[in-house]
Amino acid sequence: MSIMEYNGAAVVAMVGKNCVAIASDTRLGQQAMTIDTNFQKVFPVTDKTMIGMAGLATDVLTLRDRFRYKVNMYKLKEERTIEPQTFAHMVSAALYEKRFGPYFIEPVIAGMDKRNQPFICSMDTIGCINFAKDFVVAGNAGGGLYGMCESLWEPDLEPEDLFETISQALLNAVDRNALSGWGAVVHIITPDQVITRQLKSRMLDWADPTVKDKAVRYTRL
Amino acid sequence: MECLMGLVGKDFVITVTDTMAIRSITVLKHDEDKTRELNPHTLISYCGEAGDTTNFAEYVQKNVKLYGIRNNIELTPGATANFVRRELADSLRTRSAYQVNLLVSGYDHKKGPCLYWIDHLSALAQVPFAAHGYCAYYCISLMDRHYHPDISLDEAMGLIRQCLEELHRRFIINMPRFVAKVVDKDGIRVIDL
Amino acid sequence: MSRRYDSRTTIFSPEGRLYQVEYAMEAISHAGTVIGVLSDEGIVLAAERRVTSKLLEVGLSSEKLYVINDHMIAGVAGITSDANTLIENARVQAQQYYLSYGEEIPAEQLVQRLCDLKQGYTQYGGLRPFGVSFLYAGYDDHFGFQLYHSDPSGNYAGWKATCIGANYSSAQSTLKQDYKEDGMTMKDAIALVMKVLAKIMDTNSLSSENLEMATLTLDADKVVHRVYEPKEIDTLLKEHDVIKSSDDMME
Repeated sequence: MSIMEYNGAAVVAMVGKNCVAIASDTRLGQQAMTIDTNFQKVFPVTDKTMIGMAGLATDVLTLRDRFRYKVNMYKLKEERTIEPQTFAHMVSAALYEKRFGPYFIEPVIAGMDKRNQPFICSMDTIGCINFAKDFVVAGNAGGGLYGMCESLWEPDLEPEDLFETISQALLNAVDRNALSGWGAVVHIITPDQVITRQLKSRMLDWADPTVKDKAVRYTRL
Repeated sequence: MECLMGLVGKDFVITVTDTMAIRSITVLKHDEDKTRELNPHTLISYCGEAGDTTNFAEYVQKNVKLYGIRNNIELTPGATANFVRRELADSLRTRSAYQVNLLVSGYDHKKGPCLYWIDHLSALAQVPFAAHGYCAYYCISLMDRHYHPDISLDEAMGLIRQCLEELHRRFIINMPRFVAKVVDKDGIRVIDL
Repeated sequence: MSRRYDSRTTIFSPEGRLYQVEYAMEAISHAGTVIGVLSDEGIVLAAERRVTSKLLEVGLSSEKLYVINDHMIAGVAGITSDANTLIENARVQAQQYYLSYGEEIPAEQLVQRLCDLKQGYTQYGGLRPFGVSFLYAGYDDHFGFQLYHSDPSGNYAGWKATCIGANYSSAQSTLKQDYKEDGMTMKDAIALVMKVLAKIMDTNSLSSENLEMATLTLDADKVVHRVYEPKEIDTLLKEHDVIKSSDDMME
């Protein structure tokens, strides 16, 4: 068992036309056992930048807190919000700082810069940045996600089309991965707003009053 | 081999813990309390490496109490859970990491009842119900089936009893005694199973 | 004048006083004025900026009002360089609390932590005290909006309305007279600040050049701090007849 696969996760980001999207599943597990079905792995950094982290859940939380600290201090000292490119290097440096005892997460960053150009990138656990013009993936469903993205993604997708593309890519990838899934969150970042939507995947939903007969809960919603 | 359970109801949280202190194949004690009151509305229950557990639980208990005395305001359950996680996470990357699993149950006067699941790697999740140890394999599925968010105290106790019955029937370890505690707006109390 | 007991902060004078601390407080009472008014809806801070020379480049950011975190802003009177290190310290403290507890630090605790530091410098060997007083405008879920003042000795207190710096005593008496105990709105608070400014400052030269303003309010349960633009300050000054509008001057 790899420590990277202990809790389970799938994160993906895509570039569109004047927009970017970042999405993740919401499962938290202990190997095969599911603990939480509403575990967030994507966090806002600024109004136009977000970071998603796949890997060991404890490090996801620790780094969420550490990045919030760093970004808040940056904002106060520089008196401006951090650019996604700058933030990516901040993350990279923070990860490489622990080169010989790393945080077990792979980050994915998506944002719009000050000229409203889309930016996405991913990293390995020690902060080697992978810049991309199309899409980046991380987590247990990474292989499946690559396949889905390769076949569904096309350049210059409008926000709504990008939402559909990233959602289908993520849902279909996690459906063939036992360690991720249980719902998903998609964020579409445009120059003036972030649209956030929750997705249902193959899952139980006791909060949904329409699901009366619990025996059929596992059918495709 | 230990068992912790927790469940959030309409306006309360219940936690159930077993009461055995075990070393190797011997049961040392049948009335061990595996919970600590942190402040009037926050309770932690814990299991894991003997020694680490009580030491860590009492360390955070004393710190949360000290916070209350120093600042004349009590930490909210959310802040407490975050504090516990932080302490555990900091210890995780030292040579002497605490091996403790915890449930933090609390009643927030603004946000209502809440339950936080924290494992020995200090992953934290706010959940409607949770369990630690082998009993999780038996109890989580039962709670999945019968839980609903506005469950009443009686109903919740019924569900807990069902879980314990399942443990008695299927689990290889004999756990004769459990303690259940309820946290609600009036504070923390023991409730008969 | 005695030179024996005022050279080091750590020594009491025979009358039981700490001269260095008192000198620091005296220095502050000549510094640019800072006024704070608490209302039911939020807090107003206004600060006088001393423009020493026309040739001095005016920075983009505010010189006297600082953002500490999302829930707190502070106004400074005294030595700016001392203030900078204290503000930096406050920001770090606030973020460290957030890291530990996952919540914003309660206003009073942040003030307390800063005052602990200030107090330390009145006691430990060879150091001079910090030559700054602060007005803090903060918000937390426990006690809502809060206005605090801290001085170089490390004392602090909560206020409904107060003033530090030059002319503070006459400003305080105006605040005392005109402060409404119940139902103070943000509009009332701003009006009160303007009234005090008109009284204690040279209104001929008063403008956005030498005045900074900021507010802390709630918007849909979110704390919002707003540092006023120079234009907005000039408009406010005119609206409240603190300075004559340019139309009046033409006549």
